[in-house]
Amino acid sequence: MRFEDVQIGTAIGPEEIFISKDQTRMYARSSGLDAPRFTDDEGAKKEGLPGMILPGNMSLSLLTKLVTDWIGNNDARMIRLGTTYRVPVQPDHTLTLQGFITNTYPDTRQCEIDIWIENEEAERLVTGTATVEFSK
Amino acid sequence: MVDFDPELINRIFETTEPVPVTREKIAKFCAAIGETNPLFTDDEAAKKGPYGGVIAPPSYATTFRNGRHFFQHVPRYGRAGMDAGKDVEIIAPIRPGDTISLSSAVKEIYDKTGRSGTMVFVVVRSTLRNQKNEIVAHIDHRFMNRP
Repeated sequence: MRFEDVQIGTAIGPEEIFISKDQTRMYARSSGLDAPRFTDDEGAKKEGLPGMILPGNMSLSLLTKLVTDWIGNNDARMIRLGTTYRVPVQPDHTLTLQGFITNTYPDTRQCEIDIWIENEEAERLVTGTATVEFSK
Repeated sequence: MVDFDPELINRIFETTEPVPVTREKIAKFCAAIGETNPLFTDDEAAKKGPYGGVIAPPSYATTFRNGRHFFQHVPRYGRAGMDAGKDVEIIAPIRPGDTISLSSAVKEIYDKTGRSGTMVFVVVRSTLRNQKNEIVAHIDHRFMNRP
């Protein structure tokens, strides 16, 4: 894929993933985030949450992976990614990650991608925008 | 309009001690997010790639923590802040063998009133540098507080 092949409106995903509590704990530990809300249902409930939640950075990392998987081994790189955490993401659910190309900038050989994470009810839990730059 | 000391903005209070990046840490991070891209996971394949070896996935930049005393300098508005989102700008790859230090400052403070009431947002900008003092990433963390 070259920059010239990137079309506004092209869909990325959808990709369905099941995130378990163990995987959430593994992420939290690998990132030095040992707060109970990320590792333990009871601890999370004491903080007023319905149970364990994914760290925001984990959601960001899953969306980053969606973009870098789309880039694959093409001569391009993700240079920016912004996220907004709208609703806490809970483990032991199937999440859908997807996006679509919203803009292309021939002068800089960059494209912008709207990305988001949905739950089983198609509620958008995390939304964001990524910028990918293609080599000349 | 939210009240704060304008002198606070963009002032660096603390730069962290360098944190080593190891191949093992990158592998654990990749395992936790289900990452299988050879650029991040396969030494042999990555050698032939654009970076000449394995690099960390871009989101690995978010694993570096602020200095222990940083938040003493950040004003609080009501209950503890909630992570509302992040903007990550990736400038250079992070590689095994790098050491990363992080310096942070309050970039901006603003309020917003919505249906659920007034929210105060504190944006903290962290700048990550490697052992060559090259900037590898900027991360803007948005913390939301309810006064």
